[in-house]
Amino acid sequence: MPDSLLSRIPVAIAAPAAVLAGGVLGSALRAGVGLAIPPSPGAVPVATLAVNVFGSFALGFYLTRRERAVVSRFSLQFWAIGVLGSLTTFSTFSYEVFVLVEAGSMATALVYGFVSTVGGLMAAVVGSRIGEAWR
Amino acid sequence: MTVLIGAVAGSLGAVARYLVSGAIQTRTRSAMPLGTAAVNLVGAFIVGLVIGVDTTPTGWLLAVSGFAAGFTTFSTWMVETARLGLFPRPSARAVVNLVVMTVLGIACIAIGYYVTN
Repeated sequence: MPDSLLSRIPVAIAAPAAVLAGGVLGSALRAGVGLAIPPSPGAVPVATLAVNVFGSFALGFYLTRRERAVVSRFSLQFWAIGVLGSLTTFSTFSYEVFVLVEAGSMATALVYGFVSTVGGLMAAVVGSRIGEAWR
Repeated sequence: MTVLIGAVAGSLGAVARYLVSGAIQTRTRSAMPLGTAAVNLVGAFIVGLVIGVDTTPTGWLLAVSGFAAGFTTFSTWMVETARLGLFPRPSARAVVNLVVMTVLGIACIAIGYYVTN
């Protein structure tokens, strides 16, 4: 949408609308990855791990790029809060760790928790470094 | 159909996250990202509540894979933790935000589960 038209919509409507639109895309992508990589009981939930680590990388990249580039209005709401916020999930991550612990797969739970959090952090840092170096 | 229902419920979760975490973040003057912490823990609690009751696959898709998953966010949690300081050594705040949230997230699942089950 051209910015001239967008600027006539009140921010109180346009900002949540951008989050909604991004949320549709991010949630659909996450559901699609979930269907493509079905979970197997007792194993590391690869689908959630993949979207969470990739989403952390992409958010790190986006936020540093955003400081250095001209972006359209509500780009933050659409990409960061909508698409990447919804692509990644904290509740499913916690649920999957809980299920692994309940099932007695303590080692898998620890590996999953560690790889998700430390991997997610590293991915966010790498994404933001690439965003800094990008020309 | 799974993708469609998940996308609609997830996008509503995303808007709720935007409004709730924004409201909390502007009202609290903390160095800690409390807005994200609040939505993430509430979302985990919702999932816990749902596991405790008998749900249809559609109910699960709407509430857990859809709404709660969209309401919570992993990427923002990671970026905010990184911004609390990781280098040259992780700051106490970053470690707390990572470890405490991980533990509380699992606890919220368990608490929700024991409430409804």
